[in-house]
Amino acid sequence: MPNGLRIILLLTPGLGLVMTLMIWVLYRAFAQSFGLYNFNGDDLLTLSHWQGMFQNRRYWNALEWSGYIAVVSATLAVAVAYPLVIWLRRPFKGSFLLSALIKAPYFVPGLVAAFLLINVISYHGFVNEFLIWIGVWDQPVRMQNDKNGYAIIGLQVWKQLPLAFLLLSGAVAAIPDNVLHAAQDLGAGTWDRFRKVVLPMTVTAMQASLILIFIGAAGDFTFQAVAGPTRENSLATLMVTYQGASYSDWNGAAVIGVTLMVLSLLGSIVFAALVQIVAKLMERV
Amino acid sequence: MLRKLIMSTALLGLTSSAVLADDVLLSMSWEDIVAQAKEEGSVTWYQWYFEPEFRVVVEAFEAEYGIEVSIPDVSSVDDAINKMMAEQDLETGDIDLMSFNGSSGLRLTPSDLLTGPIQPILPEGESLETFVEGADWEEYAVQFWGNQTCLAYDPDRLSADDLPDTFVEFEAWIAENPGQLGFNFENGGSGPSLIHNIARGILGVAQADTLAETPDLQPVYDWFIENEDNYILTASNADSLSRFNSGEFIMIATWEDFIAGNINRGEVSDRFECYVPEFGLNGGGNVVGVAKNAANPAAALVLASWLTSAETQTMFNTDFGTSTANGQADSSAALVPDEDRANKTVWGDPLPDTDVVPAVIENVFQR
Amino acid sequence: MMSLPRLNTILATCLITTLVLWIVIPFAMALMWSMVDPGTSWSYPDILPPALSFERWRIMWETSSLKTAMFNSYSLAPVAGMIAIILGAPTAYAFGRLTFPGKGIAQILMLTPIVLPGFVTAVFFASILVSLGFHSRYFAILLGHVVLFMPYAVRILSVSFSQVNNEVVNAARDLGASPFGVFRAAYWPAIKPGLFAAYLIVFILSIEEFALAFVIGSPTFTTVPTILYSYLGYDFIRPNAAVVAIVLVVPNVLLLIVLERLMQSANPANVSGKG
Repeated sequence: MPNGLRIILLLTPGLGLVMTLMIWVLYRAFAQSFGLYNFNGDDLLTLSHWQGMFQNRRYWNALEWSGYIAVVSATLAVAVAYPLVIWLRRPFKGSFLLSALIKAPYFVPGLVAAFLLINVISYHGFVNEFLIWIGVWDQPVRMQNDKNGYAIIGLQVWKQLPLAFLLLSGAVAAIPDNVLHAAQDLGAGTWDRFRKVVLPMTVTAMQASLILIFIGAAGDFTFQAVAGPTRENSLATLMVTYQGASYSDWNGAAVIGVTLMVLSLLGSIVFAALVQIVAKLMERV
Repeated sequence: MLRKLIMSTALLGLTSSAVLADDVLLSMSWEDIVAQAKEEGSVTWYQWYFEPEFRVVVEAFEAEYGIEVSIPDVSSVDDAINKMMAEQDLETGDIDLMSFNGSSGLRLTPSDLLTGPIQPILPEGESLETFVEGADWEEYAVQFWGNQTCLAYDPDRLSADDLPDTFVEFEAWIAENPGQLGFNFENGGSGPSLIHNIARGILGVAQADTLAETPDLQPVYDWFIENEDNYILTASNADSLSRFNSGEFIMIATWEDFIAGNINRGEVSDRFECYVPEFGLNGGGNVVGVAKNAANPAAALVLASWLTSAETQTMFNTDFGTSTANGQADSSAALVPDEDRANKTVWGDPLPDTDVVPAVIENVFQR
Repeated sequence: MMSLPRLNTILATCLITTLVLWIVIPFAMALMWSMVDPGTSWSYPDILPPALSFERWRIMWETSSLKTAMFNSYSLAPVAGMIAIILGAPTAYAFGRLTFPGKGIAQILMLTPIVLPGFVTAVFFASILVSLGFHSRYFAILLGHVVLFMPYAVRILSVSFSQVNNEVVNAARDLGASPFGVFRAAYWPAIKPGLFAAYLIVFILSIEEFALAFVIGSPTFTTVPTILYSYLGYDFIRPNAAVVAIVLVVPNVLLLIVLERLMQSANPANVSGKG
């Protein structure tokens, strides 16, 4: 059997199936956003669904909100993960347990995490009662559904930190010891070693972490629905609202879905570029 | 949600093929209907709230008739209606008996979806209501659930004598007690009822008035913006109640049956009380009807009859705190005092809630 | 000045304590909420529930659709895991053992389901299903889970395949082993831990998956996450949500401990014998 054919046959049930469905889904989203597959009327290639959304305040609010949550969450998660990774590079007593604990949240389902959090931060929940008890606060503070979305950002960071941690520790572990030693022998301090050796060699992992977390946080539904401010929508919750029973506007939902994908793509490009630039600048300084 | 799509596609160009079996059923005597129901042996009831409780409630029906009732968990009434519409062209659908919120009748044609008219053949049909929340169900569906939105308060922290009754008193109360009133604007109608009636209060619209057109809502937006620190928006009916129970609020907008049911099940404290202020809160009800393509139409009809019987309605009043839907039932056990019933307002006219609530959400809450 | 290891230990102890509290307190509260005795409400100003019992667990089991949801979840997950492995293994083999032009791109494309926002996939997959007139919730969600989680299976399996020792393969061939014999002698020992790990990861992810199950399953096909969501949203009942949250999370934590062990034994050093 010719090698090419053999490879195609091997890839068909796996990659082939995945790509077929994913391309189909993507095409459907784009097509519906431009008026095709209109379940409420005639299929008509049109920009009207986009124009309608562009005039809708909730659409822009949701876009802004999702962008804000995603940028802050991705940046924070990576900023917290970096020092941890470098610290835990060399095993010491307790470091194994520590990294296991850091990784644990990745496997707590998001819904459960959100539920646990709103329990703890509720008006007469543990945190409030505890802080009143030790005298930090005189009376409970409303933290549930806070309007700056701190709860969602906290949940995102908590949930996504393991991803950044895993990717970055893989990259840091791959830096050969002798390279670090060589830098040390040449008299480089901790900061110099970080920006001249560690940073350049972990740029890819950092880009990957930022991008994956950005995409995950931008597309968030559960945290927003359970712990987010009631006055805001994320793109995903707005999309589901539009597609759901009370609106049944699939084409509008498609516009929001495509927007979410564009946001994910743009965010990825911007983050990747920024990391690249910052790494270059740091090396020169 | 998927059902919605199926429905939409099914609706395109398709007309429902009327199932003639209806007519046979409707011409039978009640005894024959009961006999056929027992033969059918089972019935599926789509009911979108209190499913676990209703599974217990219908055990009495199952024991009486030997008909097994299955109540699937339904995500929302709209989803259930969509499923029903999607299936209306099938020979037999999954749904036998279907619950609707009263006002959904405004956008549905009962005779397209339901077997009927059933009110005339129900043994207690004369004591039942088919005109609910401004919608005429044309005797194809009858009310089985009466509900009233109300303000619930914690008597430990607010005495019954100090309850704000008029709109002016209400305004003053929230200004004196900032952050102590909670209500939702989506996921349940209790908050929307309050929003709706606040708007009526601000614009001076009484229940008896008729309006030629919806007036300018700017004063309403201004009021909600000015008072933004005085009230707290919650995520749902249930969120309001749960936070009220944990002491975050002194007063919330809620449903009488919802809070009563939760009190009876021990989910929330039994000290809580409800009232309907003089400036009004909306009341309404839910109806049941038999699906046109029900697999077990007779059993569905018998279940509908049982649910709406005076006996069952009295039990609902005691156990769930509903306002009764059968004129012969005893309604003395309710949470809302009888004298407050006069303050009941309705969804829709004057100043339709569908004009007010979405506009307030867009221009105030999610501006 | 304090020595570095000592500082490390102190810092680590503090952080470990915080993280443990961070995990223990919320779960303890959830457990407590799940045991609030129905009939004796836990309301302000009580700091602790006035009465605890397992009554709520019994009620949830007997009257809610938790049983059905668990049946659905636990009948989807094992099948999804199996199919994802069967369909993904050839791709993993190609990624792990063969070189071909475009392999890098193919490997990146394989990640598409992970990168696309889950709700976008769910909503427009639903849209396709409707156009096809495909009504079976179970099979629709099953297909969705297979496709969504196959990338994880392929990733783990391709590492396993790449660790199959060529010398063993050749030796087996030279000794005249049948293809099955070669597979058993050379491939099976190397890929076995990876297979189990891949199966488990798809299993766990399928149990937890919410977007597809929520969008496609409504109104009546419930899985454990969708039932939890209903108790967190429209029908917010904290004690019931606590029961479902525990039902969702505990089996998965146990499975994860198994998975962690498998992943360790799937370590190249142990499998290839190269040290």
